[in-house]
Amino acid sequence: MADVETLSHSGISVHDLKEAEDFYCGILGAQVHGAVNFVTEDTLKGRSVHQSYTLGDFLFALVLAPDFMPMPPADKLMGVNGFRHAFAVRHADFDATIARLKAAGVPFKGPVGHPDKGPFGESVYFKDPSGNFLELLWRRDENVDYAKAPQLDVG
Amino acid sequence: MIDGFSHIVLHVTDLDRSEAFYRDVFGLDVIGRDLVADEGRNSLLGTNTRQRVLLVEVPEVVAIRPNSSSIHHAWLLTIDEFERAKDRFAAAGFDINDSRAQFRARGENSVDIFDPDGHRFQVQAYSPAATEVIKENTGPIACGHMDDYAVGAVKAFVKGKFFLVRIEEGFLAVSRWCTHMNGLLSWKQEHWHFYCPMHGAMFNRKGESLPCSRPCPTLRLHPVTIGADGTITVDPDTAIRRDGFDPAQVVPAKAGASSRFPETALC
Repeated sequence: MADVETLSHSGISVHDLKEAEDFYCGILGAQVHGAVNFVTEDTLKGRSVHQSYTLGDFLFALVLAPDFMPMPPADKLMGVNGFRHAFAVRHADFDATIARLKAAGVPFKGPVGHPDKGPFGESVYFKDPSGNFLELLWRRDENVDYAKAPQLDVG
Repeated sequence: MIDGFSHIVLHVTDLDRSEAFYRDVFGLDVIGRDLVADEGRNSLLGTNTRQRVLLVEVPEVVAIRPNSSSIHHAWLLTIDEFERAKDRFAAAGFDINDSRAQFRARGENSVDIFDPDGHRFQVQAYSPAATEVIKENTGPIACGHMDDYAVGAVKAFVKGKFFLVRIEEGFLAVSRWCTHMNGLLSWKQEHWHFYCPMHGAMFNRKGESLPCSRPCPTLRLHPVTIGADGTITVDPDTAIRRDGFDPAQVVPAKAGASSRFPETALC
């Protein structure tokens, strides 16, 4: 047993909240969860203006970056920009997922196969419009009955 | 399409050092080495759910993007795990005081920990105090004369933690404790709503959760009594749970009026 239940959320900087919403909700199927600190006095106190989204069991707080963040090279599709988030899709849905990225005009790398001895099957790699790296994969352990991530509703 | 979160990938400059840190300080399980096709030697670690962390060794790491802000990832621990984690963090030399304590609800525990390459993690845990009904045992609070409240007035009381709200139909004593988690609401006159700075919940003057905010149960009420002389008393030691606003909850602005609630609503 680990001494950590789960990763409950990530705060990620983006350049444009509307652009991020169109990407995460429109292409990846995220749901808008809530807008936080849109009240002026909070921002004056230095609190981050962010909109949060749920993507499956995960909560993303997309935070408005205070200044333009250097972007990774356009042709670099797999990498980390501080971090990379990977989301699981069912193996049976993997081809449809790739087709969906193609249809949306999102450049991606892959599918890349992982070693048989590990829990991951195949991955595709891409970026959000603000240069945050993302990954979609199917997992060999998709039918294992892991404990569910507790739903916290914060962030 | 998406079945759920799978893993987070982080670059590290020293795989042995980072694997040991994530295992011994954060408390993750090591699953194995080089189980994943990636840019370098890697170690896969696990939480108690299917979520994984993949540490990939590279020569140089930029942990936090330049010009970004508030970038972090949050581990969720049970409160018991959190107590153990605090000891490990302190032993590893971290400051275990919450640098943003003023922004936390009661029962919301959080510390910031940086890994050996500077990746920032929030470590959080929620105790039952986050959602329990808080009572200060102040006894009844005298709130002045009913004629001193114009229709539309909202007065915040520090002692007892409630708002006395005068709407057209009469008075409501609305608890200032957010029903999401125990954050203290403030009245935003310019927006005409109650606002929780902890997680962004908003409520109207009747205590109903507003659309476009985190949906929460209706704010709790406290009994209001108006004396024969027109002076108002609120009992913040009695909390009334409700499923929504009902005009019967309002105490008319008349001498001798008082709140009436079913026993089952008391909490």
